[in-house]
Amino acid sequence: MIEKLDELFKKFKKELDTVASNADALNLKAQYLGKKGPISNILRSLKDATASERKVVGASANELKVSIQDLINDKINSIEMDLMNKKLESQRIDISDRQSIRANSMLYSGGFHPINLVQNEIEDIFLSMGFEVLDGPHIEDEYHNFEALNIPADHPARDMQDTFWFEPPDPEASNRHLLRCHTSTIQVRGMKDRKPPFRFIAPGKVFRCERTDASHESAFHQLEGMLVGENISVANLIYFMKTLLSEIFKKEVQVRLRPGFFPFVEPGFELDIQCLICKGKGCSVCKKVGWVELLPCGMVHPNVLKAGGIDTSKYNGFAFGLGLDRLVMMRYGIDDIRLIHSGDLRFISQFKSY
Amino acid sequence: MLVSIDWIKDFTDLGELPAVEVGNKFTLSTAEVEGVQSIGEHFKKIKVAVVESINKHPNADKLSLVTFRVSQNETGEVVCGASNVKVGMKTPYAPLGTVLAGGFKLEPKKIRGVLSEGMLCSKEELGYEQNSKGIMELPEDAPVGMTLLEYLNESVDTLLDIDNKSLTHRPDLWGHYGMAREFATIFEKTLKNPFSDEWSTQLEKLYTLQSSPITLQVDPDCSCLAYFGLSINGVKVEDSPIWMQKRLKAVGLRPINNIVDISNYVMLELGIPLHIFDQDKIKGGKLIIQRMKKEDSFKTLDEIERKLLPSDTVICDNSGPLVLAGIMGGQSSEIDDQTQNVFIEVANWKAHEVRRTSTRLGLRTDSSSRYEKTLDSKMCKRTMLRTLELIIELCPNASVVGKLEYDGHDLSSIATRAITTSISKINSVLGHRIEKGKIISIFKSLDFIVEEDIDGDLLQLLVPSFRANKDIEYEADLIEEVGRIIGYDNITPKSPLSQVSPVRLTLADKLHRKIRNFMVYHAKSYEIMTYPMVGKKLYKKAAWSIEQGVKIINPISEDQDVMRPSLIPSLLEAASKNQKNFSDFCFFEIGRTYTKDQVEFSKEQSMLGVVFSSKDSSCFMELLNVVERLFTELNVAVKFNKRHANFANAHIPADWDGRHPFEHLDVNIMGKIHGAVITPHPIILKSFKIKGNLSMAIIDLTSFQDRPLKSKTKYTTLLKFPTSTFDCTVVADKGTPVQTVLECMKKSKVKKVIDQKVVDVFQFNETQNTVTLRTTFGDHEGTLSGQFLDSAKESIVESLKKGGFNLKM
Repeated sequence: MIEKLDELFKKFKKELDTVASNADALNLKAQYLGKKGPISNILRSLKDATASERKVVGASANELKVSIQDLINDKINSIEMDLMNKKLESQRIDISDRQSIRANSMLYSGGFHPINLVQNEIEDIFLSMGFEVLDGPHIEDEYHNFEALNIPADHPARDMQDTFWFEPPDPEASNRHLLRCHTSTIQVRGMKDRKPPFRFIAPGKVFRCERTDASHESAFHQLEGMLVGENISVANLIYFMKTLLSEIFKKEVQVRLRPGFFPFVEPGFELDIQCLICKGKGCSVCKKVGWVELLPCGMVHPNVLKAGGIDTSKYNGFAFGLGLDRLVMMRYGIDDIRLIHSGDLRFISQFKSY
Repeated sequence: MLVSIDWIKDFTDLGELPAVEVGNKFTLSTAEVEGVQSIGEHFKKIKVAVVESINKHPNADKLSLVTFRVSQNETGEVVCGASNVKVGMKTPYAPLGTVLAGGFKLEPKKIRGVLSEGMLCSKEELGYEQNSKGIMELPEDAPVGMTLLEYLNESVDTLLDIDNKSLTHRPDLWGHYGMAREFATIFEKTLKNPFSDEWSTQLEKLYTLQSSPITLQVDPDCSCLAYFGLSINGVKVEDSPIWMQKRLKAVGLRPINNIVDISNYVMLELGIPLHIFDQDKIKGGKLIIQRMKKEDSFKTLDEIERKLLPSDTVICDNSGPLVLAGIMGGQSSEIDDQTQNVFIEVANWKAHEVRRTSTRLGLRTDSSSRYEKTLDSKMCKRTMLRTLELIIELCPNASVVGKLEYDGHDLSSIATRAITTSISKINSVLGHRIEKGKIISIFKSLDFIVEEDIDGDLLQLLVPSFRANKDIEYEADLIEEVGRIIGYDNITPKSPLSQVSPVRLTLADKLHRKIRNFMVYHAKSYEIMTYPMVGKKLYKKAAWSIEQGVKIINPISEDQDVMRPSLIPSLLEAASKNQKNFSDFCFFEIGRTYTKDQVEFSKEQSMLGVVFSSKDSSCFMELLNVVERLFTELNVAVKFNKRHANFANAHIPADWDGRHPFEHLDVNIMGKIHGAVITPHPIILKSFKIKGNLSMAIIDLTSFQDRPLKSKTKYTTLLKFPTSTFDCTVVADKGTPVQTVLECMKKSKVKKVIDQKVVDVFQFNETQNTVTLRTTFGDHEGTLSGQFLDSAKESIVESLKKGGFNLKM
């Protein structure tokens, strides 16, 4: 009997191999495991056998049933798997065809203007050090742009050649309007609205009447800063400037502080950083001197504090101005300042966020 | 401005400091040195050689091989192309490694196959002439082997190129003597004083009792502060001595003749300009310094006729103006080869008047650029005496006639400025401890007079007159003197001690950041910047009126002479530029517009401008959806309305040719129109050469950026009972906005409605669309009954029917 079962299993396996569809598999299963199938027949014939034979053959026959059942299930699974794989094959996509390699990939990206990338970063650095961020008008009057900043009427800075002027509505007007030529205009506006101690920055566009070339623009960006309090010293100013620069450049930057003349500060300084493009060897960006003027700064002139309504016997402070365009150009290695306002997406798309 | 270290050494002994270090320290303490240049180094290497033989170059007809000798047993051979070379000739020889005057370094090099061991030099190569032919021929008695430095008595010098702008507030540094004082202080050396009282007394002895041939009269109303005049007879005009010529050339001035050279030399030494007249050309024996009587023309020394105004001060004789005060002399009283008698003017003028005239005429001279800085009248007399000293030195037969004439302000009435400070104040402001002795020595070295107080802390300082004009005025100015000489780099950075208070960005800044983030991350756009200045040409292209913009008087060009009243033309221009490189793109700008204002002169508004452009498909709906979602992000309630004849949109002119017949919506924020979403008319796109589709949005951020904008989002409990939906499809004319159909359905006012939306719109036939609408019902209290739903559906269909939208059959 056992031999019969073995033979049956061999035959089943042979037939199973030829099965190609789900239905055939189920037919085969019915054929072998059905009530009239060969295994049932064998089990039925056992009623005449001895008890021991019945036990052995019965167990084997049941084992065979389980094996057949399993093999059939496997077969069904494998047929389904083949079908799915065929479907996947038919649905196959080219996974190398990413948007980023397509000609119109621009449409799937966006990005910030590099000036704002850097400006926001600097604003955040100053916010973290307790500075407010202020804003002011671009079209200013002589008082805020010059007089309040200790630049008297006959000062060369008031000449036509540096500043854009507007036609006064009344030819006799004493306080003519102009395009602010520095963000320092915010100093007096900021002081008037506050009581010391205070500290603020004011980023924004400024304008100079200059011929444009790769390193000169008639509209560019500055960031003014001011801190007023008791017993403020040059050492405090240097501390803030160095902290700022190491935060901006994420490393220690070589700096030098030299006297600089600005009517609204005394003492006044030019803070230069070693040129990051040539590392101090001299190149076109640093005009071959190895240093780049970055931060004009100084202790606020007593006349300016007075114009802002500050008690100079009690308070003093420092102020600084940062050229944002120059900083952005250094950071990214941009060789032409005119790209900033060009609106050219070939330039802007290089600063994409994603 | 070029400063000669050789000249500085006349006044202070700097020793052998390396040139670069001198430059660096000067930059850190006083003013920016833009370049350090050594001159004359080549004269140390170039020697006198004698030509021994000349042979033909084997490979070139025009070249020869010249053998020369520079010492008893030292000969060499060079390839030479000069036609004047001959045997026995003495000529300068530059060995390999020499850097010639033009900056060219001699390297070993084969010329047509023959190695040349250096070069026989022309005058051009030595820096004597601009262009020269042939090699330089030296006199027969020139000693062979001697360096040119020795033989021609050449000198080696270092020149510092100092940025003029950084000297704006330091008129005392516009001459070498003032510079020398600065160098002496920085390097802790002693400043010599060749201009002592004794020196003055000696020179004043040259005055005579004769009456001066030229007398003076200064009109108190003109720009003159002080005017000194001295007549000297018997000068001989000739070339000035080599030493003087060399110094003038080194700092960039062309030698002319001894008299003119002296006036330049003294100006470069002492920083005060002067003018020397041919005395015999002054008519009437008297100079009057006054303003022009009337507008008239005047020919300056540079042979240009210039128009002078009644406000310009001039120096006149009885024939008319001779000199334009502080700026330039005229031709009629110029020194020439025949001049025998001279009149020297040393004067001081009001700085802003000189600047005004020189700026107006576009005539900046060495003289005007000094007077502009505000000079010290008290230094005029010293300048006159130094001029006299040099004239007597160069023209020993010359003699003073009469005495030093003067008119102008009473110089003795100019008080010495005294400023009080203290050691503790200086240390506190610098944030650095500096010894009292050091502070005092710095001030003394800079020629301040130091008066110490008894308690040891207070200092009273008398400011030297040459620093008292717009330079040292306050205590802060004194602190700067100490700080810069100590060197700011030597101060240790220190954090201030101060209160901590919370800070945050302004509402406007926060809003702008939020918009930028949205536009970049959600709307997939790039942020650009365009120029705030625009011109007529662009506005004409955009059919936009530029009249509202604020006009600049002195623009750089016609294309940038108005502050833009709108972002739209600028953005169209940017789109036009970008179309050359990209077929599809989205960009935005947050920028200002500027318009005239009756009260405030001008009004500035922060605007958001967005451009979506695509070659193939319309961008309007995509842009509109982005703008709608942006306002949701900003928590600002917005409505998009069709243009209404009664409500003007301030951001799009009513009569704009660029108005699209359909794709135009006004953006209504808090009941007012503050922007628009538009597609410009193809006629405008055409004038910008924009092909394909382009839509833009413009939104006035100023209208809401300063208001606190809170999110009004509220949670509602989720429904516990199943919802039920009802879809129905109606037919509508093609011209009917789908929103009208939806609004019509909403009019049914059925209850228990959770949501009503449009599902789909399809073309039905030539003239009609089908619109599928969905209503979702739901109730918090329980499942809705079939009865309720049936009656609700009925009233929806009824309501649509009333509006003319029948169910599709």
